[in-house]
Amino acid sequence: MINDQLLKSVNNLPVFPATVHRVSQVISDPDFSVDDLVNIIKYDQSITANVLRMCNSPYFGTRYKISSLREAVIYLGRTNILQIVYTAGTSRFYKRVRGYYWGATKLWEHSVGVALMSQILAKKIYSCEDSGFFTAGLLHDIGKVVLGEFVYESFQEIMHLVSRRGYSFLEAEQEIIGTNHAELGGEIASLWSFPKETRDAITYHHRPDLMEKGEDSIPWIIYLADQACMMMGIGGGVDSLAYRGLKEVVNKFNLRQRDFEKSIVLLLKDLDKAKELLDLVKNE
Amino acid sequence: MKQIVVGISDLKVSGNAGDILITYALGSCVGVAVYDPVDRVGGLLHFMLPDSSIDETKARRNPAMFADTGIPLLFKSCYKLGAVKKRMIVKIAGGASIMDDMNYFRIGQKNIIAARKIFWRNGIIIDGEDLHGNYNRTVKLNISNGKFYVKNFANLFEEL
Repeated sequence: MINDQLLKSVNNLPVFPATVHRVSQVISDPDFSVDDLVNIIKYDQSITANVLRMCNSPYFGTRYKISSLREAVIYLGRTNILQIVYTAGTSRFYKRVRGYYWGATKLWEHSVGVALMSQILAKKIYSCEDSGFFTAGLLHDIGKVVLGEFVYESFQEIMHLVSRRGYSFLEAEQEIIGTNHAELGGEIASLWSFPKETRDAITYHHRPDLMEKGEDSIPWIIYLADQACMMMGIGGGVDSLAYRGLKEVVNKFNLRQRDFEKSIVLLLKDLDKAKELLDLVKNE
Repeated sequence: MKQIVVGISDLKVSGNAGDILITYALGSCVGVAVYDPVDRVGGLLHFMLPDSSIDETKARRNPAMFADTGIPLLFKSCYKLGAVKKRMIVKIAGGASIMDDMNYFRIGQKNIIAARKIFWRNGIIIDGEDLHGNYNRTVKLNISNGKFYVKNFANLFEEL
């Protein structure tokens, strides 16, 4: 359960930019108007600036040089615009994260990595590009932003359980702090009014096997994308690879070793193309 | 001292005594450091996957991505700077894995096996290794003396 001190830290988090949710609402209408979208975005200066920084990133593969918000909305297409707006609105929370990382921007790098990898896996497994995967990937570790302070204070105790007693990092957080970054992240997403599928993906990203039966494809994809990034050391932190592997994932997706490795090759390529996304956090 | 960063799927070699080659957060990837103490030439490779046959085009463009293409290139690049095979000291680190990682996606273990096979086939002895476990390692190679350091999970560099 979440104690008072933690609750206070959660309440001190800046609110999630309403602009992002509004964009997501408007864009879900198949007949959305470009002007409506531009009018929502342009009032948030930080998001507008970030959108413009990112829209010529090779990752989004536009053939035109985009220099205005209007052009971005016209040329990028629904999925890309959503991904860009979510990225633009989310990076501000990752400026400084204590506890888990020796480098300040590592959690952002990891989060972008998981978002990109979840797209690759969703395409491979479901043949679809749903921005729900991307958003959940960006936010899966949001709990660390708050819990980091507490991990920092109890670091020796946590590491003792992990290195000597066979705990996963998640289990050690739970034992020492009384909650873990996944559960806390789900609470934060709930406060921020994210839909259930995003909240569940965050809450269960290390243990999708514990979810109730139902729509669990996003949590499993995020789980796998997260594991791939941990294995590759992408935005690697002190928790490293100290998380449980779940064998079920292989049967769930019928994924061969070769396909997993090929996806990792694609991830590295995408990370290279997505430099503008990674750099966002430095501009905050 | 000039610190030269080796990225993921990357390798760097140097014969400048002032250089330190460093690579961060190895995870399941493996870092291979080689050094010729006579010529004071060394190199560091950070390979990601065991076998280039999954993507041969990619392997041609970026051989450092895979064990079977990266390790030979690491040696050849050092030979170009004057290193001699029989004098070379070889150390490896990394190959970590997720906990309970039996039966699926054992990339760390496969990377280690791939590296061992290549060294064995080429009659090269591994002089030092720090492998397996569930944690990230950052490693660096000092070109002036060949000392190879591995950062443990307490965030301290220890010589291997």
